[in-house]
Amino acid sequence: MRLFGRHDAHEAPHPLRQIKLFSTLSRRELPVVQALRHERNYLAGEVVFDEGDDGEAIYAIVSGEVEILRHEGGRQQRLAVLAAGEVFGELALLDQAPRAAQARATADCVLVVFFRADFMNLLETHPKIASKIALSLARHLGGRLRQANAGQRQDGHL
Amino acid sequence: MRRLRPSGAGPLAWCGILLATTLALNLFQQVLWLVLPFLFGLIAYYFLAYPMQRLMFAGLSQEAAANITVGVFALLLVGAFAFMLPRFAAQAVGVQETGMRYLQGGLLLLDQTLRALEQQSRFMRDAHVADAVSSYIAVAGEGFAQNRLPSLMMSVAAWLPSMLLAPFLAYFFLRDGRRFQRFLARAVPNAYFERTLHLLYEVDRTTRAYFQGLVKLTVLDAVCLAAGLWVIGLSSPLTLGIITAVLAWIPFVGSVIGCALVVMVAATDFPGSPSIAYASIGLFILVRLLDDFIFMPLTIGRSLRMHPLITVLMIFVGGAVAGVAGLLLVLPVLGVIMVIGETLSIVASDPRLRARHAHARRLRWQAVTRDL
Repeated sequence: MRLFGRHDAHEAPHPLRQIKLFSTLSRRELPVVQALRHERNYLAGEVVFDEGDDGEAIYAIVSGEVEILRHEGGRQQRLAVLAAGEVFGELALLDQAPRAAQARATADCVLVVFFRADFMNLLETHPKIASKIALSLARHLGGRLRQANAGQRQDGHL
Repeated sequence: MRRLRPSGAGPLAWCGILLATTLALNLFQQVLWLVLPFLFGLIAYYFLAYPMQRLMFAGLSQEAAANITVGVFALLLVGAFAFMLPRFAAQAVGVQETGMRYLQGGLLLLDQTLRALEQQSRFMRDAHVADAVSSYIAVAGEGFAQNRLPSLMMSVAAWLPSMLLAPFLAYFFLRDGRRFQRFLARAVPNAYFERTLHLLYEVDRTTRAYFQGLVKLTVLDAVCLAAGLWVIGLSSPLTLGIITAVLAWIPFVGSVIGCALVVMVAATDFPGSPSIAYASIGLFILVRLLDDFIFMPLTIGRSLRMHPLITVLMIFVGGAVAGVAGLLLVLPVLGVIMVIGETLSIVASDPRLRARHAHARRLRWQAVTRDL
């Protein structure tokens, strides 16, 4: 349990900086975000979240691969394959709309998960960190939008 | 997965929620020595959460912010204790005498009121209501002093050391609350993970809103009562206001005791003018009405989001099952169990989540038996 043992920040942290969303955070800011993370292990083929689920959290891939799938007219369509360092489910941070697609692990993977309420709280307690993350998120979504405009099917899949 | 909404729980789930609340109250009554410090620790935690958050806003880590917040709070407590102790010690000898004086004043007012009513009503005069009530109070008071008071004092003395747990609990809630949440979430299968996070968040939000609402309500009650008592001209209006506002934490019973306390003080301070005591009762009723119709909906009422009928029903059940402790605990316990029950009933009735969990278990089984 280690509730009263070593501090979490000293537990061999995964390199959050390698995740694009947190790449602009300083060394002093990273432990604040680190304290909010949940770590989950998924096996290849396991569903991370379903289309229509409540979006309560954002996911970042530490290792492994995740595919984003959407069911259209009874057919399953792969929208994207995401690798280590990428984030998905990011729209959960912005609104409470249901998930627009399914996320499924294509290889055994380790994900770090950030709960939306923790992020909202971060806006109150550490606005500088939150604004850096929000800026990264805006760039990330802008990139997705450009890809969609360019005709690639990665449009608003989360 | 469907969206989480409180209306998701059906009648069976609600029966389970009410039954679980009743059982929890019964259990809590058995371990009241632990539940009360826990409750006060929670109140202190939610009271201190805001200043701690301000420190974190200033850039401190959670641990440093918790250390500073609880440290300053402890220093303030020790300072207040050091300031009050000499005054209390100086008046300790007279406490019993003062208490008896106020009790006598209250009883005198009651006797005067009943005799005045007897003069107006032949039925009451024939029934000798004033004499009957006086003799009943005398017998009950003597029996209470001889039989119940010593055991009550011993129980309070036995609880006092455990109350020292409250600040320690508050400190660890502040410092490790988030880690405890993560520890709980880690034990949950992947399929239920987001729902669990949501559940933990809702439990925290409900208890936070309840206890913060309680603190706000107490401050509003205390200020209104103190101002009213000061206008009426009673002695120590602020102390009386605070005591009666805290007593109001116990539904119904606490308010009656608080009102009786104020009336006793009014009757003793102004023995010749019962109108002051009646004005105090009027003030108390006015503050109760303000409390029930304005303050309560603005503070605690918003936090629990439950039907008033269930609230009132459960207050009676809490009183019947666990006495005064049940009255005090029933609303926060019901609020938390309601959130847990509603979420669990939604999760348990979601076949897609169960299917995903079963699929994940199959994958794990295949992974560990692959080379066998």
